Amino acid sequence: MELNTKYHGVKEYEEKDIIYFKKGLPGFENLSRYILFTVEENEIFSILQSIDDSEIGLVVISPFSVLKDYEFKLDQEKLQQLKVSSPEEVLVLNTVTLGSNAENITTNLKAPIIINIKERLGEQIILDNDKYRIKHPIFKE
Amino acid sequence: MLVITRKKGESLLIGEDIEITVVKVDDGSVKLSINAPKNITILRKELYKEVTEENKNSAVFNSSMLKKIKK
Repeated sequence: MELNTKYHGVKEYEEKDIIYFKKGLPGFENLSRYILFTVEENEIFSILQSIDDSEIGLVVISPFSVLKDYEFKLDQEKLQQLKVSSPEEVLVLNTVTLGSNAENITTNLKAPIIINIKERLGEQIILDNDKYRIKHPIFKE
Repeated sequence: MLVITRKKGESLLIGEDIEITVVKVDDGSVKLSINAPKNITILRKELYKEVTEENKNSAVFNSSMLKKIKK
């Protein structure tokens, strides 16, 4: 299948590539099917692209490339919902936002997107603690 | 929508397993204690709104902008 995305060209995908977000994502509650691909021009970034709305593709980054010791706990209920049976199945991504210029690029470490890459299930969770910031600079200040 | 008045120390129940108690009332702010099953997400609404904003903002830039950003 082919998807003509608004910002990232035409993307080929198959049924098995689709990641299901049962609850959507905050701000995109009605969009539940996504594909994930890396940005060709800059591979530290990936795009979580909605296939229900070709205009919506969220720029995401691995939090561990920003903060090596990034961590949070997934409770048992969440693990069950996402059908996680081993840690290797879990992919963590965080959204990326541009500030007034490219140097002010930040990532939201408070709301990791959890994806079970084996079962193709995803959910964004919100960490209600003061440890991580919503706007964490990707480049050192 | 249900609007309900509670005094300090009083509670209300939502369904069978959610209980909200007013612990303290103090000059414009209310302290609540909430008893709920673990699978229920409880969040300050402004935090959810901030995440919504960040998600929307992360969907507005294109590959050519990302190309310029090197780490």
